[in-house]
Amino acid sequence: MSAADGILLVIGAGVVAYAVLGGADFGGGVWDLLAAGPRREAQRRLIATTMGPVWEANHVWLVFVLIGLFSGFPLAFGALARMLAVPLAVALLGIVLRGAAFVFRQYGGALGAGGGAASGAAGWGRVFAIASTLAPASLGYCAGAVAIGRVGSAFSVAAGALALACCAFLAAVFLCREALVRGEPAAAGDFRRRALGSAVVAGGLAALALPVLAHEAPGLASNLLAGAPALMALSAAGGTGSHRGARVAPVPDGARVRGTRRGCAGGRLGRGPVPGAGAAGVDRRAGGRARADAPGDARRTGGRVRRHAAVAGSAVRDLQPWRVGPTRSSVIRTMTRRSRTIAAR
Amino acid sequence: MLDNLTAAREQMAFSLGFHIVFAVFGMGLPWLLLFIEDRYIRTGDRVWYEMARRWCRAFAVLFAVGAVSGTVLSFEFGLLWPTFMERYGGVFGLAFTLEAFAFFLEAIFLGLYLYGWDRLPPRAHWWTGVPVAVSGMASALFVTTANAWMNTPVGFVEENGVVVSAEPIAPLIAPAAPHQVVHMILAALLCTGFGVAAVYAVAMLRSPVKRRDPYHRRGLALGLVLGGVVAPLQVIVGDWAVRAVADQQPVKMAALEALPRTGSDAPLRVGPIEVPGALSVLLHGRRDAVVTGLDAVPPADRPPVGITHYSFDLMVVIGFGLLALAVWALWRWRRGSLFAGRWFLRAVAASGPAAVVALIAGWIVTEVGRQPWIVHLRLRTADAVSDQPGLYWYFYATLVVYAVLSVSLVTLLRRLARSARSESRVLEPVP
Repeated sequence: MSAADGILLVIGAGVVAYAVLGGADFGGGVWDLLAAGPRREAQRRLIATTMGPVWEANHVWLVFVLIGLFSGFPLAFGALARMLAVPLAVALLGIVLRGAAFVFRQYGGALGAGGGAASGAAGWGRVFAIASTLAPASLGYCAGAVAIGRVGSAFSVAAGALALACCAFLAAVFLCREALVRGEPAAAGDFRRRALGSAVVAGGLAALALPVLAHEAPGLASNLLAGAPALMALSAAGGTGSHRGARVAPVPDGARVRGTRRGCAGGRLGRGPVPGAGAAGVDRRAGGRARADAPGDARRTGGRVRRHAAVAGSAVRDLQPWRVGPTRSSVIRTMTRRSRTIAAR
Repeated sequence: MLDNLTAAREQMAFSLGFHIVFAVFGMGLPWLLLFIEDRYIRTGDRVWYEMARRWCRAFAVLFAVGAVSGTVLSFEFGLLWPTFMERYGGVFGLAFTLEAFAFFLEAIFLGLYLYGWDRLPPRAHWWTGVPVAVSGMASALFVTTANAWMNTPVGFVEENGVVVSAEPIAPLIAPAAPHQVVHMILAALLCTGFGVAAVYAVAMLRSPVKRRDPYHRRGLALGLVLGGVVAPLQVIVGDWAVRAVADQQPVKMAALEALPRTGSDAPLRVGPIEVPGALSVLLHGRRDAVVTGLDAVPPADRPPVGITHYSFDLMVVIGFGLLALAVWALWRWRRGSLFAGRWFLRAVAASGPAAVVALIAGWIVTEVGRQPWIVHLRLRTADAVSDQPGLYWYFYATLVVYAVLSVSLVTLLRRLARSARSESRVLEPVP
């Protein structure tokens, strides 16, 4: 292995770390932007507290990659900077605004006794969310352009969208776990559903991008198919596997499972058909509103879950809890226990 | 419309000038915080605790802006100066690689430090602040060595404009590195000291009752002690730096002093005053010593004299002004009336912004004084700039974004200060 390979390895590790860790940060911003439903503010609060201690540390990877690139491969760095000046500048704008907006919101909001301060914090929240969406999309665009060697192609656009969807997926998974650890099963349920939705979107985009790649860069596409089928298979299996695992618990299957479902996805407890069966315990803020629109919400949720099930080509046996992998089932057990405790109160 | 060279230089000047202000507080404040928290742990005095918590909030905001504006810089190297990076990125890259490691450590431990308040045992929390302070200094060291390498490029072999071999530690052995690094670190401490003192001086001027309040008195004294100790050292290091520049970059020296002709008995010009022979004496200790003037090189190789010379004078005047303030403070302290005089407090209030102005003036001196070279005598700035059409749009966008950030930041810091003023209770932990 030459010195160049070594540096490349380090840069590659930096890119992967940035994609996974920084990507989850960006995804947090995406979910801040898309925060919806009665627990909107609780979701935003969870995102802010989860990212708080790490928000800048993750972006150090980017500085790491850039610096490795210009000290290790100065010619490539110059060429890339020339070719990707515009998307890089957009990504940079996003990174700058999201970093500043996050901390402005955090500290402005924390001290916001007056109305002006509070609305200022909300404004920075919007900036944070939009900038977080802008940055991974343009970095993904850059990655796509680097892969096929030119800008302005449809594949770059697809790569940008795919990057955004992957960030959103990652963040939703992290946030789901974080919500459980913090004892907020309602938010965990929200992010679990968001993880499922974004996984489907990411999978769809990946599937769509392949033919585009074959059309725009046949050489790269055939290399990918010939040289890296194992990696692609692993990627596909990982995606499908996580989807199958995650999907299991909440799909309704008759009356018994219906009961289980309410119990399992503790998050849905507040919205279930039993009015007020612990909504206040789950989320005091959203409690009143959640009960008000409970039936409609439950129907919508059920419909979405069924669609997820259909996408994966599920069989009924997958819906049974004892089929679930160890991690997932333990998570569900925890959720069940917690929601039962809450219901008992 | 601006041509690419002007647009790129203005953008770089603007982003560096913006970044450096936050970077210096990011370097200086952690040391102050460590001291304050240590006092709290040793004495159990809640005044120290409150002071640490309040400065910690301000530090978090300043660090965030410093970090994002630093990320901007690493992009701008490529976006604005691709030729420079292509040719020399591999030579001075190590400095930035090490800087990245330092920044990494700083960000991680800062996260622990900010979120560890009241969660970690006090002494353990104090220790999480130590790597923040040390790596802040290390970052400054590495970045400044990269700049020193641009002033005095060494450690590589070049054939026909292509670097054929380079020592990995090239930037660390640049002859300009020692004085630039020390000057920069002292500048950071100077800005922090007088900046902190100025905040309390303004508060005391606004409401005289605070002149007897232990919180404000300690804050003011703390800032003044830091600034007052560093000010005389900075004057000495500045003299060392000037002699080194005269030796390493004589044409830059000529621009600093606006010296048109090479010769002995060189005059020192400060504003309208001209002291014959003083420059020769200051630099070499003899009136008959020859000092290089601007005429040593053709006009195309001379830096812009006006801005370099006036920035240099401004920096020196402020430096001596801060020294005088330190002496004044010492005298008042000996008389036991440190917090009494309105004019003294006004001077302290002015010293914070003045120190920052001197800092920026100093960077103008070293950067504009190096022109027309981006790498001294190796690569011209005009040859290094990107040929991307419409580079001025980046400049305008940068101006707008940074203007918005500055206004918001000032609003936020004022709100932090105001809430600190109106609160008598101990601050809540950061959520």
